[in-house]
Amino acid sequence: MATKTARATPVQEAGPPDVRGPTSLFPASIFWAGIGSLSLVLGGTALVQARYAIAGGPLGQGCLRAGLRPYHPKDITNPGIRGAEGVCHIVEGLRSTGQTALLAAGIALGLAAIAAGFARYRSMDSKRKREHALSGAVLGIQSAVLGAFLLWFRGSRTLVTFTQNFLNFAVLKGSLGGFLNGAKYTLFLAFGGEIGGIVLGLVLALFALSERRVVRAPARVYINFFRGTPLIWQLPFFYFLFILGLGIHWNAFNAALLVFSLNTGAYAAEVFRAGIQSIERGQMEAARGLGFSYLQAMRYSIVPQAIRRVIPPLLNEFVILIKDTALVVVLGLSINQLDLFSFARQGYSDSFNATYFVGAAIGYLVITLPLIRVVNQVERRLRSGLVGIAGAGA
Amino acid sequence: MTAGGPGPGAVDLFGRAQPSGGIAGDSLVRIEGLHKWFGRLHVLKGIDLELAQGEVLVVIGPSGSGKSTLLRCVNLLEVPTQGTVWFDGKEITDIRTNLNEVRTHMGIVFQAFNLFPHKTALQNITLALEKVLKVSSDEAKDRAVEQLQHVGLAHKAGSYPGQLSGGQQQRVAIARALAMRPQLMLFDEVTSALDPELVGEVLEVMRKLAEEGMTMMVVTHEMGFAREVGRRLVFMDDGQVVEDGDPKEVMRDPRNERTKQFLSKVL
Repeated sequence: MATKTARATPVQEAGPPDVRGPTSLFPASIFWAGIGSLSLVLGGTALVQARYAIAGGPLGQGCLRAGLRPYHPKDITNPGIRGAEGVCHIVEGLRSTGQTALLAAGIALGLAAIAAGFARYRSMDSKRKREHALSGAVLGIQSAVLGAFLLWFRGSRTLVTFTQNFLNFAVLKGSLGGFLNGAKYTLFLAFGGEIGGIVLGLVLALFALSERRVVRAPARVYINFFRGTPLIWQLPFFYFLFILGLGIHWNAFNAALLVFSLNTGAYAAEVFRAGIQSIERGQMEAARGLGFSYLQAMRYSIVPQAIRRVIPPLLNEFVILIKDTALVVVLGLSINQLDLFSFARQGYSDSFNATYFVGAAIGYLVITLPLIRVVNQVERRLRSGLVGIAGAGA
Repeated sequence: MTAGGPGPGAVDLFGRAQPSGGIAGDSLVRIEGLHKWFGRLHVLKGIDLELAQGEVLVVIGPSGSGKSTLLRCVNLLEVPTQGTVWFDGKEITDIRTNLNEVRTHMGIVFQAFNLFPHKTALQNITLALEKVLKVSSDEAKDRAVEQLQHVGLAHKAGSYPGQLSGGQQQRVAIARALAMRPQLMLFDEVTSALDPELVGEVLEVMRKLAEEGMTMMVVTHEMGFAREVGRRLVFMDDGQVVEDGDPKEVMRDPRNERTKQFLSKVL
């Protein structure tokens, strides 16, 4: 197997000599100035925020002027704003003199790194010196841009309104269970859709690869239809096709599961088709030469090889599907089967606070980021192993 | 059949009388009036050829002369556009032939080995035994080990193709074909993709096979092998058989002008 061959020869030699040369004080200072500037802007902002959050305290004058009122749910005429203190601390932190000093220092240091790095790197005489000077300058650009953005953002006249509506994390208190439940149904929809889609896609791919046009045509029509229409249209159309058109009274969740399968099937079919076509012609000829029928050759030789090659693109499709399940919101799921996005919208309509959507975004990232990592790793492993799998070229 | 007509041949098969069994003498393969077009390209231009039981037929000729296409027409990996192929008394160009069954009786080995890369050497051999011949897995394993010993690779049974040298892969491919116990072996330039120092081990296996009496059709560029192992040599040029005879005689004293030219360059 390919992975075995790849692992077979651990290199024990000393490796190539270091030809990048030494660095010196000046380029190294540029590099550390770049690092320092970014730390001041990002780390400084985080520290200030943490300090204000921990210090707590009542609403300040500025916040009261901006319309923030402490929360008194029992007071029916003037209940105030839930989480007003937290919102106020974010705004106060951003507008504090400490933050001003940190941003100014960060931007100044960043600009210095940019100027020194770009002006002097050409005259440096080793690879490592140049790398240090250029890296410092690039980090300087990043901190200058971020710092400028933060300065602009905190100066906004509606900063309080934005923070109150999007970064008021106090409103999410008590919603963790809801988000976890939402993640469960999101994953349920994605897994179900993916599994159905893979089975359907493999069959469609085999049809689409047929030499007979009458077999190929229906598969192509199906694939092009589902790839050519928006998923957000497919969901309600098929949902109502079941209920009103066919008299099948499925709930929205099951209908969505089926539509996700139908849709993913079309995409998976194209992935499988490309994978099968990437297997050398000789594999089919060898199998037929041994007396295998066409379908046996597919089953025992071609498809098993193709599946290895399509794992990364299929995982990619899966990541896309996880996010696309959010579209199920157009069907209106029942309250005990809400996915991440539907739960966030439910929270939004109850509280009129969009921080729920930020919570949902965090939920999607928690699911997708590890998966994206896995995809990249599998891809790297298969790429290094494909040489062995090709066989004939060895 | 018009020239350049696409699609498989065998158009003139309808209404033809079924063969009344048995063709002349001990011919294992008989080819009559074989034509092959690839699109507008006329690759084989009327081949008539017989191959006797136990014969070792070597086919040589310049690139593009149609040698490989002819070989692949024998087991119908290429479908002849026109003409008839008989195997063991049956007309296999008849559209009603069960080609999967016929192909189990003739092994083919390719230039590019075409081993299944996701299977070990042993599994490469047992797969067709179990799935096509429906042999029990124990017997399939016995037969596979026996054939691996035959080609000197019993110790590589658990290796994947990617872990074997080209010569070893090709020997496994030969073992895979032999395990089906074929009546005929087809070799399609099996040493052309090998490093020079690996050619010998593969030719040695083929020589042994010839000595054991296997009927073989060998397309090759190895002139030494053709002379020493071949019982009969066919020289092809431009889609036609231009010379047919004893290998040593043909090489010493070619009668056809094109054969002379070709041999003067390769010998």
